[in-house]
Amino acid sequence: MARLTLRNIKKSFKSTQVLHGIDLDIHDREFVVFVGPSGCGKSTLLRLIAGLDPITDGEFDLNGERMNEVAPSRRGIAMVFQSYALYPHMDVYENMAFGARLMGLDKPEVERRISEAARMLQLEPLLKRRPRELSGGQRQRVAIGRALVRKPQVFLLDEPLSNLDAALRSEVRLEIARLHREIGGTMIYVTHDQVEAMTLADRIVVMNHGRIEQVGSPRELYETPANTFVAGFIGAPRMALFEVKREGARLAIPDGGSVVLERVPDSGTKGLRLGVRPDAFRLLDTSSEDGFDASVVYTEYLGDDAYVYARLADGTLVAVRTHPADNYQPDTKIRLGVASEGAHYFSLENGERLA
Amino acid sequence: MAKLRMTGRGLWITTLVAPPLAFVALFIVYPIIAAFAYAFFDWQGLLRGEFVGFANFHQVLFVEPYASWTRNAFTHNIIVFFALMVLQNGLGFLLAYGLWRGLPGARFHRIAVFMPVVLSTIIVGYLWKLFYHPLFGPVNQVLRGIGLDQLAQPWLGQSSTALWALIIANAWHLVGFPTLVFLAGMQRIPTEILDAARMETESEWVKITQIVWPLVAPSATIVFVLLFVGAFNWFELPYIMAGLDGSPFGSTDVLGLYFYRTAFGNVSAGTQDFGLGSALAVLIFIFIAAVASVITVRLRAREIQV
Repeated sequence: MARLTLRNIKKSFKSTQVLHGIDLDIHDREFVVFVGPSGCGKSTLLRLIAGLDPITDGEFDLNGERMNEVAPSRRGIAMVFQSYALYPHMDVYENMAFGARLMGLDKPEVERRISEAARMLQLEPLLKRRPRELSGGQRQRVAIGRALVRKPQVFLLDEPLSNLDAALRSEVRLEIARLHREIGGTMIYVTHDQVEAMTLADRIVVMNHGRIEQVGSPRELYETPANTFVAGFIGAPRMALFEVKREGARLAIPDGGSVVLERVPDSGTKGLRLGVRPDAFRLLDTSSEDGFDASVVYTEYLGDDAYVYARLADGTLVAVRTHPADNYQPDTKIRLGVASEGAHYFSLENGERLA
Repeated sequence: MAKLRMTGRGLWITTLVAPPLAFVALFIVYPIIAAFAYAFFDWQGLLRGEFVGFANFHQVLFVEPYASWTRNAFTHNIIVFFALMVLQNGLGFLLAYGLWRGLPGARFHRIAVFMPVVLSTIIVGYLWKLFYHPLFGPVNQVLRGIGLDQLAQPWLGQSSTALWALIIANAWHLVGFPTLVFLAGMQRIPTEILDAARMETESEWVKITQIVWPLVAPSATIVFVLLFVGAFNWFELPYIMAGLDGSPFGSTDVLGLYFYRTAFGNVSAGTQDFGLGSALAVLIFIFIAAVASVITVRLRAREIQV
């Protein structure tokens, strides 16, 4: 059992406030990913949960017990660091045994747990090696093993893949997903990489400027982003966001064409911000009445996919998914329609989603 | 072997390297070799007598009273070395740890601890001589002030306390050096490693002994070796505070003083003997060089690349 409750958590370093009241519930066995741009406070929040930095204000409960003043080693929480932070003077076995022994486990139990972790992570042939004799991926596995051996209630992972090369990254990502299924602990994972977030998470917490922008499953965040920040952050290439004016039933960019969409929410006479993902754009015939005018900037060919980046009349750069066989030269004029079911509407004033 | 060509760069390097090499040869290599040579001759004042082989060495090591003087001085050097290992390096390590972990006032103490190191030994010597003064020295005044009159004593004037008084003065003077070296070593430890340890234990003792200490091994090598060399070359502080005779009654005599007295003479001994002095110097040199290299090799082996 591990249920985490964060109530109005605030954190300041001297006079700079970096977290402005975080409220969050994390359920048992859940895989939660904190995601957001650099400096959004996600790593800080993780360190507060770990107990490495003191909480300035608010309350953090683990299974209903207040944790604010509890020492990191007594919280039943283990952490995997970005740099792995293995003890350089100990071999792999000692690295894993260190924490287990300090928990007061007897020798056979320590050995049993280490061999279990070593088997799970394929570390058996490496047990006598020092960290500097290991590759990045191996160090990563040792760091995870060190956390596993303590059998914590909660695993914290701070950008654990950021020091690995691309090929290894997807491999270890699958590994982490498998581990979570096998051991079933509660995991909190920090990353700025939305692919990691989307593929691993039960729920994603999107953070920005020390606040939570939205919490939800990957599907919820992708399909119903709560505001323009989440809309722009989740999904690659980014969702195009641009201002449109109402002209009767049409949504128009001044001197840039217009579209008719179904179920446009009521936003008064003012305009609204329209969000369209690359696959919701439709390439129309240039003679068509409908659609926004755009001019091709460049094309990204990805083999089974291709994206055309084009500039709308108001200067917004939008990504449009096209058939890889199509070829668009820069400066070609195109006309972009929008699929009604793929349109997102946001308020112009505060960027919030309009129903 | 690569042929040394006098290109512009080679010439440039030679020009820069030659003067210091000449300086080292003249003022360090030559005196060492000369002392080696002197040790094998009989001397009448500054006049070189006949070649006597190992007679000088034999005399300082096995003939009384020289033999017991040598033993006495050498024993004191050993006491100084181990005492300073604890009081200077041990305390320095703890101070460095406190400064590193940012205990309250760390910024002030970092300067305060290092300040005495920049003072000249002469100043420190006279200062502590005043501190220890039996009548108006602050040490005794403080003891009397807090009612411990029976503890007030002539610290430098009695055999039982004189050497330890010097050791404490030396530790006060130089504790900032190991502190600084250890602090630099600790600052090289990645913060995430300490964070990882904090996730596993809250005991400062475990963190110090199992994580920090092994990781500052390179710093330990430096301060250990330098302390060893320093302890067996100890001269200025006892010279200033206890005089050339290692008073009272040789209880602060160390190899440095003993060598100087023997080679150059002093008021009480009156005579000078270059042969015996050189023999002592050579023995001290060989002892320091041999032990220091062993310590270095042994300590290097336990250093770990972070």
